[in-house]
Amino acid sequence: MSYIEVNNLVKDYKINVKKRGILGSMQSLLIPEYKMIRAVDDISFSIKKGEMVGFIGPNGAGKSTTVKMLTGILMPTSGNIITGGLSPHSDRKKNAARIGAVFGQRTQLWWDLPAEDTFDLLRYVYKMPEKKFKANMETFNELLGLNEFISKPVRQLSLGQRMRADIAASLIHDPEIVFFDEPTIGLDVVAKQKVRDFVRHMNKEKNITMLFTTHDMGDIEKTCDRMLIIDKGKIIYDGTPDDIKKKYAKYRTLIIDFVEKQSGIEIPGVEVCEDKGNKVQFRFIKDEVSAQELISSLTKKYEISDFTLQEADIENVIREIYEGGIKCDENLCGVC
Amino acid sequence: MRTYVEFAKKAIQNNIVYRVNSYAGIINTIVMIFVNIAIWRAIYEEEATLEGLQFRLVITYIVLSFLMQSIFVMDEYLIQYKVRSGSISTDMLRPISFLGYVFSHNIGVMLFRIIIQLTPALLVAIFFVKILPPFSPLIALYFAISVLLGYLVLYSINLVVWLTSFWYFEIFSFITIKDAAVMILSGALLPIWFMPNWLYNLVQITPFGSIYSVPISIYLGQLPETEIYTKILLQIIWIIVFQVIGRLLWHCAQKRIVVQGG
Repeated sequence: MSYIEVNNLVKDYKINVKKRGILGSMQSLLIPEYKMIRAVDDISFSIKKGEMVGFIGPNGAGKSTTVKMLTGILMPTSGNIITGGLSPHSDRKKNAARIGAVFGQRTQLWWDLPAEDTFDLLRYVYKMPEKKFKANMETFNELLGLNEFISKPVRQLSLGQRMRADIAASLIHDPEIVFFDEPTIGLDVVAKQKVRDFVRHMNKEKNITMLFTTHDMGDIEKTCDRMLIIDKGKIIYDGTPDDIKKKYAKYRTLIIDFVEKQSGIEIPGVEVCEDKGNKVQFRFIKDEVSAQELISSLTKKYEISDFTLQEADIENVIREIYEGGIKCDENLCGVC
Repeated sequence: MRTYVEFAKKAIQNNIVYRVNSYAGIINTIVMIFVNIAIWRAIYEEEATLEGLQFRLVITYIVLSFLMQSIFVMDEYLIQYKVRSGSISTDMLRPISFLGYVFSHNIGVMLFRIIIQLTPALLVAIFFVKILPPFSPLIALYFAISVLLGYLVLYSINLVVWLTSFWYFEIFSFITIKDAAVMILSGALLPIWFMPNWLYNLVQITPFGSIYSVPISIYLGQLPETEIYTKILLQIIWIIVFQVIGRLLWHCAQKRIVVQGG
């Protein structure tokens, strides 16, 4: 049973084309020129209740626009969205009562007031019974350590603290679905880990459907079961993060530390991509060359002090997709 | 309903954060009252009717106008700020009416003003300036109703101006023009009976007269009872007209929201 159903979604923006320089500015002041930009181009997908889905894509690919349409902030140009039986834009108020959202780049907290004041206000906004509210606040205190800073004005909080408060604020009313738009942007490693753990915990505990947009592949690998890649307004991949690695991460890298300096090593099917004398990096296609055979053939000929085998990392795969090096084939996009 | 009361409370709290600014506001209001009295005193000294009723009426008019202006203060750039910064998206994510939120926020601003600015200024007006008391207790009631309606007329006009932010993003000039129109045509600066005939007639047909000059004229007992009713009715009509326009604009604005900055 799908909870979110998106069909042929399109969003066009009308933008004012500004010409360069002072003369150009004058010209666009007198004769404005407009151009239509298609930010989201006919996408369809569906998401099940309790799923954790990551949206990734290069800047300007249309992910934020998609999320904003899903939350009801933006009106689609065409196509339709149903979340839990409601249309997010035309039933905005009803829909808003059961969604939560975190925008990493802006806060939903009252800037000049202590964070706890925002929480008190949210209690009324979502018409929560006091018992439920207190219980939730306690859970968040425990997991996110809100008590350390909850009575300080929000503008004095560190980014990590603010993010924790923001995430708690998005979950306070037990939403059925939560949207995270770059929730870990600008956070340090420890804070990132905390946020990821908390999000996973909440998903398991309350079966909340969660959608992420992020540029951090770590967020996706550590939290999401499913990943959608959007580029130029279209979905180009829909599947698990592991699948994409299996399918597109063809290369493995073997780094060997030789005891003595070696040169001119040539093995068929293996490419030497870096040669620093003692330390040599070999790159090979994992289906064609077995790593074990490669290592044993090398140890027979040379004296080796150490070696490391690197799996292709997902970030490289994604980079290649963005740069157009990998074309996702249709049969991988199972759902779309 | 409770939610909106909470919004108003938050607006008050937000204002308290910037305390010094509020104290400066008190001084501003009181200084403005005395400066204006001095100006009118100078004008009347020429005519040597300083102790006459006419002078007391003018002073009362001016002081009432300043007292009202000190609480008819609204957060003029709230909507523009939200549209330009993109924080409108956070408001759209809440199960609340956006217009309801803007209204309760401004009510909060007004309540704060009543406590911190109106009260001291009113004491000064009563004990130092010795303004005329309202014509009768009934008139005082009509005056109170008319002030409230005057606030709503101004709020509704403002709302229409603010909502144009969704189309133009920068509405400083619109607000300036609107402020000038309100200042001149509402009788806030100059009692309307001093206006040349053509301007006086213009004020009668614009909504601006409903903001300051109607309540003050009621207070001073310058309107016969039947005319009080028609003026109050007129105020209500202007509120409805501008609220309808505002709601239509908001209806269109929701379809064209673009979220600035990601």
